[in-house]
Amino acid sequence: MHNNSNIKPGLSDPFNLSEETIKKILNLALSKGGDFSEVFLEYKIFTFIKMEDDIIKETAESIDLGMGIRVISGDKTGYGYTNNLSFKDMKKAALTAAQIASGHKKTTPFELEPAASKFNLYQTVYPSHDALLEKKIDIVKRAYTTALDFDSKIIKVKAALTDQIQNIVIANSEGLLISDRRPLVKLTCMAIAEKKGQREAGFYGGGGRVGLEYFDSILTAEDIGKESSQEALHLLDAVLPPAGEMPVILAPGHSGVLIHEAVGHLLEADFIRKKTSVFWNKLGKKIGAGTVNIYDDPTIPFFRGSYNIDDEGTIPEKTCLVHQGVLTDLLQDRLSARMMNKKTNGHGRRQDHTCIPLPRMSNTFIDTGEFSAEEILKSVNRGFYALRFQGGQVEDSGKFTFSVSSGYLIEKGKKTVPIKQATLIGSNIDILNKIEMVGSDLEFGLQTGVCGKDGQGVPINDGCPTLKITAMTVGGIR
Amino acid sequence: MSSKKNKYDHISLAEELVKYGCSLGADETEISIIECDEFNIEVRLGEIENLLESGSRHIGIRVIKDKKTAFATSSDFSKQTLRGLMKNCVKRAELANPDKYNGLPYGLEKPTANSTGLDIFDPSIASMPLNKKIHLAKKTESIALKDKRITNSFGSSFETKTIQNTLVNSSGFAETYDESVCSLGLGLQAGEPDAKVEGYWSCSRRHLKDLEFPEDIANKAVSRTVRLINPRKIETQNVPVIFEPLMTSWLMEFLFSCVSAVAVYQGTTFLSNKLGKRIGNKLISVIDDGLISGKLGTCPFDSEGVPTRKTMVIENGILKNFLCNTYAARRLDLISTGNADGTGVGPNNFYLAPGIMSPDDIIAGTDRGLVLVRTIGHGLNPLTGDISRGAFGLWIEKGEIAYPVSEITITGNLGIILNNIEILGNDLEFNHQVIGPTIKIGELTVAGQ
Repeated sequence: MHNNSNIKPGLSDPFNLSEETIKKILNLALSKGGDFSEVFLEYKIFTFIKMEDDIIKETAESIDLGMGIRVISGDKTGYGYTNNLSFKDMKKAALTAAQIASGHKKTTPFELEPAASKFNLYQTVYPSHDALLEKKIDIVKRAYTTALDFDSKIIKVKAALTDQIQNIVIANSEGLLISDRRPLVKLTCMAIAEKKGQREAGFYGGGGRVGLEYFDSILTAEDIGKESSQEALHLLDAVLPPAGEMPVILAPGHSGVLIHEAVGHLLEADFIRKKTSVFWNKLGKKIGAGTVNIYDDPTIPFFRGSYNIDDEGTIPEKTCLVHQGVLTDLLQDRLSARMMNKKTNGHGRRQDHTCIPLPRMSNTFIDTGEFSAEEILKSVNRGFYALRFQGGQVEDSGKFTFSVSSGYLIEKGKKTVPIKQATLIGSNIDILNKIEMVGSDLEFGLQTGVCGKDGQGVPINDGCPTLKITAMTVGGIR
Repeated sequence: MSSKKNKYDHISLAEELVKYGCSLGADETEISIIECDEFNIEVRLGEIENLLESGSRHIGIRVIKDKKTAFATSSDFSKQTLRGLMKNCVKRAELANPDKYNGLPYGLEKPTANSTGLDIFDPSIASMPLNKKIHLAKKTESIALKDKRITNSFGSSFETKTIQNTLVNSSGFAETYDESVCSLGLGLQAGEPDAKVEGYWSCSRRHLKDLEFPEDIANKAVSRTVRLINPRKIETQNVPVIFEPLMTSWLMEFLFSCVSAVAVYQGTTFLSNKLGKRIGNKLISVIDDGLISGKLGTCPFDSEGVPTRKTMVIENGILKNFLCNTYAARRLDLISTGNADGTGVGPNNFYLAPGIMSPDDIIAGTDRGLVLVRTIGHGLNPLTGDISRGAFGLWIEKGEIAYPVSEITITGNLGIILNNIEILGNDLEFNHQVIGPTIKIGELTVAGQ
C-alpha cells in the first residue's frame, strides 16, 4: 500500500476556515429540508509560459479561490458558489442551493470525521508549482529549440508549459471531511513545416500529475519538440484519404480516444439512468466482440486522469466496464448511484468549484489482446491506418466521428502513402462488434487530453493496443 | 449586484492596483474586473433537475516592462493576494523577452457608446421571480413532450447572466459597462431504441422580451429531432450541399479563425497573404460589427479598451481586413479593429451578409443534394482551409426533402467553398455572435458507404 505521509486528513491550510464554520454552512444548506449537502472548497494556482518567435513571449499566473455548495433533494440538485469565503457570502450561496428543497429542516445532526485516501498517486520529486520560473523557461526552450532545429523545413514553432496545483477540501452532511492536493503539468509543442508553399502543423506533448523530473527522464522536452516536427514533416508528404468503407487499423495509444468517445461517455451513469444512452438497457449483455475488455482506472500513478479522491470525496476504484464483450459496470457518481441503487465507484468529477459533479472518465483503455501489431497489419490487403487523432465526438445514440490528423494507406499488409485529415464515422455497437483483432501492445495517448461534458473540462487519458476494425466509413475525397 | 456602488468600487480597486504596478516599476499596467451573476435552471421530464445561482468575480492583470509582458488573473480579491500577484507579475515580465510590439493601445478614444446606448443590458433580469424562471423551462419542455414521436428528453434549460465589465489602465482609461444574456433551450430524442436521433433548439438574447416563446422553441426542437428519424446511409458522391443557418455559423467560426490577425502573424492561416485579394465570389460579404444595437456580440469597447466598430472583412469576395487586437495590428502594420479578447482576438457580431431567397425556395431549386443540419467532430485545418466532419443531413430529391441521412462525412476546403457559394438565404438571425444565413454550395464530397 502507498505511504500516506504527505496527505493530511481533513482540512488543509489555504482556506483558513474551521470545521465548525463548514458544518454551519452544511446545515444552512439543509435548512429547507434537502437530503444531502456538500461543500467543495478550491484553491488553485496555475502558471503558464509560452515561447514563440524565438522569445519567451508571455507568462501568466492565475489564482482561483472559491466554494461550491450542493444540496440534493430527491432527484434534484441545487447549487451555489462564491469566490468570497466570508461567512456572509458562503451563507448566501448555501441558502441559494437550499432553494431546491421546499420545506423544513428534517435531517439528523452529524459530526465531521476527517478522512484520508488510501492512494498517494502523485509523489513528485521537483513539483512544478514550486520551481523557479527560470527552470521552467529552460524546459520550454529545450522543446522549442529541438523542434525548430530538427529540419530546415520547420518554419515556425510554439511551445508552452502549464502547471497547476489544485487544493481541494470536500465536506458533506454524511460527516465526510477529506482533502487532496493535485499537481498537473503539461508541456506542448506545435511545429509548422513548409514545402513549396504548402504548410502543415504537427503537435506533441506530455506531462501528467508529475514533477519536472518527468521532462528529463520519462518524456524529455527534446523528444516532445522532435515528435511535433516529425509529425509536421510527415504531413507535408501526406495526401487526403480515399472516401468510403474499408478495413481500419487503429494505432496503439492515440486511438484510445475512440474508446473514450464511442464507449466511455455512453457508460456514464447519468446517460444510462436518463435512458438517453444507447447502452441504457444493455448491462450484463454482450455489446462487442469477445476479445474486448475495457477499463477505467483513476488509480494509475502520475496519469493526468488520476486522483486520490474524486470530486465528491470518494476513494476511486479501477472499474471494469466491459469484460469479454459483456457490459459489466458503469461510471458512477453519488447522485446517479443513489438513484440507481448502486454504490458510487469514484467517478464523480467537476471542472472546478463552479460546477456540479458529473459521472466522468479518468484513464480509459482497452486491455491487451493476443495479436502482434505486425500480424494485424498483414491481415489487411487495402485499408486505412489511423495514427494520430485530432479529436472525436459522439452522440448518445452511439453515432460518432473522429478526426484523424495523420495516418497511412494500407496496401498488401504494409503502411504506404501518408494520409492527412481523414474522418472516421460509425456507430459504437456496430464498431465494437467489428473489432476483429486486438493487439498485445497496449499504450496510452499523450498526457495532454481534456474531456468536455456539459461545458466542464477535466484532464483525462486513454489508451489501447493496435486494433483492427473490419470495416468503417472513412471520409475523404472522391 | 451591479449597483452603482460596486461600479465605483471596481474602478477604484483597479486604479489602486494600476498605481501599485507602476510603483513596482511596470511601464504600463492594465486591470480588468469582471463581476458576473449567473442563474441556470434545468428541467427534465417535468421535474427540476438542477438549479444553480452564483455570484463570481475575476480580476485580470497585464504588466508591460521594457516591452516585456506578463499576465495574471485571480478570483481571490484579498489585498494580500492581489499585491502578491502584481509583484510576481512584474518579476515575471522581467524574465520574459522584449518584443517591440508589446504595449497598451496608444491614446484611446473614449468609447462612443455605453451599455444603455447599445441596449445590451436588461435590468429586468435581476428582478425576475424564481417561479417564473422555472415556469419558462417547464413549459418549453412540456409542450415538446406532447408530441408522441418524442421518446425522451435531454431537458430544457433557462439561463441568465448579468455581467459588469470594468477596465482601467495606466494611460488613463477607466470605463465600465453592464451587459446581460438570457437563453432558453431544449434537447430531445426520438426514434427506435437502437437507432435514436437527437435534436436541439436554443434561443439567446440580450433582453428577456426578445426571447422566442416557449411554444416556438419547443416546436423547433421537435421538428429538428423528428426529421432525423430512420436515417439512411448513402453512397459516396459529390453533390450540392445546403447549409442551414447553424451550419453557416459553424463555417463562419472557422472563417473567423482564418481572418484573425493573430493567426495571420503566426502564419497559421491559409489567408495570411491574401489581404486585398479575391478569396470568394461576388456574393460573399462578411462583416464584424460591435455596434449593432442589442445584439449578443455588441459591446462599447474590447478587452483593451479600444472602441468597437464595424469592419468589412470580406467585401464582394475581396478580403478587406484582418481582425486585430493592438499587438497583432502593430505587428502587421494595421490598426486595431476592436477585437481584442483576453490575450487573443475574438469576434464581435461576425456575420455573412444575407441574400434574398427563402430557404424553402433554395431547397425547391435543388434537384439532388444534401441539407446539412449538424456536424460532429473536429477536422478543421486553418493552415489549409481543409474541412472534414461527420454529418447529419436531409437528402433532397427533385426539390423536396426525401429522407434523413446519417453516418456521412463532408469533405471540402474553405477557400474553395467561398468561391462556390451559389445562393445566400434571407434568414440571417442574430442568435449567436458568429452567424450566417442558409447558403447553397455548388458541390462538396459527401462520403457514405
